Amino acid sequence: MTTTEVASVLLSLRDIRKYYMVGGQEVRALDGIHLTVDHGEFVAIMGPSGSGKSTLLNIIGCLDAPTSGTYELDGIDVSRMDETEQAHVRNQRIGFVFQGYNLLPRTTALKNVALPLLYGHHKDQVSLATAALEKVGLGDRLYHTTSELSGGQQQRVAIARALTMNPPLILADEPTGNLATRQSEEIMAIFQQVNNEGRTVVMVTHEPDIALFCKRMVIVRDGKVVEDGPVKDRRTAVAALAIPVAG
Amino acid sequence: MNVFESLQVALGGLTSNKMRTALTMLGIIIGVGVVIIVVAIGQGATKSVTDSVNALGTNILTVTPAPSHVRINAATVKGNADVPNRLTLADATFVSRNFKKSILAVAPQVRGQVQIVLGNTNATTSLTGTTVDYPFVANSSVSTGRFFNGAETDGSQKVCVVGTTVAGNLTGDSTTNLTGHSIAINHQMFLVVGMLTSKGVGGPGGDQDDMIVAPITTAMRRVLNKQLINSMTIRCSDAAHMLLATEQISNFLRNRHHLRPPFPANDDFNIRSSTELMARVQGITGTMTSLLSAVAVISLLVGGIGIMNIMLVSVTERTREIGIRKAIGATPADIRLQFLIESGILSMLGGLVGICLGIGGAMALAKISGWSTIVSPASVFVSLGISAGIGIFFGLYPASKAASLHPIDALHYE
Repeated sequence: MTTTEVASVLLSLRDIRKYYMVGGQEVRALDGIHLTVDHGEFVAIMGPSGSGKSTLLNIIGCLDAPTSGTYELDGIDVSRMDETEQAHVRNQRIGFVFQGYNLLPRTTALKNVALPLLYGHHKDQVSLATAALEKVGLGDRLYHTTSELSGGQQQRVAIARALTMNPPLILADEPTGNLATRQSEEIMAIFQQVNNEGRTVVMVTHEPDIALFCKRMVIVRDGKVVEDGPVKDRRTAVAALAIPVAG
Repeated sequence: MNVFESLQVALGGLTSNKMRTALTMLGIIIGVGVVIIVVAIGQGATKSVTDSVNALGTNILTVTPAPSHVRINAATVKGNADVPNRLTLADATFVSRNFKKSILAVAPQVRGQVQIVLGNTNATTSLTGTTVDYPFVANSSVSTGRFFNGAETDGSQKVCVVGTTVAGNLTGDSTTNLTGHSIAINHQMFLVVGMLTSKGVGGPGGDQDDMIVAPITTAMRRVLNKQLINSMTIRCSDAAHMLLATEQISNFLRNRHHLRPPFPANDDFNIRSSTELMARVQGITGTMTSLLSAVAVISLLVGGIGIMNIMLVSVTERTREIGIRKAIGATPADIRLQFLIESGILSMLGGLVGICLGIGGAMALAKISGWSTIVSPASVFVSLGISAGIGIFFGLYPASKAASLHPIDALHYE
């Protein structure tokens, strides 16, 4: 193993376990996960409902703490950090995109996107947030509030929010779960573009055709990684969008 | 996130639900407003009493008939209670003659409401009948003309001295000099011989310029038809002689009125010194102020609990928002600060509105009732501080609750 290969590792999860007590019974959401993701990868985490894929993403995103195991982000053990340090990691190093968009209601797109900058004490919040919104093609919707945007537009605002701090890692939990095919392809086009720029993208999805836009597929079942390999027949979202919609 | 940014976020939260914000502030508004008004009244009352006592001098004794003293004896039971043992003009005359060493002067007084007419204008005012010693005893003086003299008192002459408010009521201009004019007091013509120097509004007796002073004999026999006097004011030779004078007058009046022991229970008069009066009034206003302030503090407390309640509701309502903020990098401290600032603004804003209403209320009260009210800067700052403290204290629990929410639980909250 050469030093350049060591430097390129972004995520390193070793024997991650997450146990819950539900009604006196122990539920093993994650049962010994080993996963390494390098810089610049585009990973789809797939698996049936209850397989623990969302829990895994939450742990990667520092939103949840594992019961045991080590998780290193960029060589730093984040699983032992306190809440405030984890908040800083979420703010500086991770951009999160959710299935339900999770934008602040009654708030303009610009303010939503500027929110991470606010917590990160950035000076030129308006220009950075505007640039992020232009990147996702919403430069003309800066002052629209959440309720004035369509689902696809809201998800693009959420992606802009994830990009605005320029983090190395983008996490997405079922980002296309609430969207129609065309809008899903638009969202995936943005993720592919973001990945092409060198950012690592890890997304959870249960739609196989969405996973085909990624580079690597990790399948989780019963809290364990059961399959891990490159995506065959990878699709390009730009090409998919070029095909006219039938009817 | 710095304080200014937190302030923006907090203001955004408050303006998104204006009605609720206003209602929540109401408790604090009322509490602070009441504190300001009560303290203003208390301070105003204390100051006006102190001022009038200081103006009068501290070596003043006031003798009044004991108001509630009913002596049950054969006479009262039979129904011919001719109240012989009340203060008479003769009592005052004897007091002034007998104790030259301890007493400088005595001014017996009768008072009554009278109707006065000058030309076509008529008004009502209070008439004080007294003797030539009144200016000296009551620290009064005439600005123009002269006070009535001893001969006029002895002869029950119809002369009088007029206060500036009376002149204002009769002519429309309180600076009018009525000296030399005749005015009708209860349909009898009096010659105005002088104008009283203005003492101003705000004493315990209200407007001290709304009065006419006439010889006591005239006032008793010709106008008010009284046999007894309302009070006598005594100026002692100095403060050291006041106890002696009190003793002497008490013994003298007990003898003259044929009172039987025990004393002072059976006294049919009261003797009060001006300092005692001041202490009593200050005591009463102090008690009232602290009592009403306690009520106001309870109102502030209730207001604070209201704020805590609304903040808890707000934290629950905005659980998802808190989750989103945490997910994108808000620290627990950021969240706590946001909610603390929100509750702080809520109560500070309530405090500010309360202060404005309190100052306005105190001023309106002074206008309407004629009480003097003094809004002290200390009460303003203290109530502002208290309301801010309440906001922070009662905001602490909801804010900590919000800060300690688990990001995932908060995000999945429906």
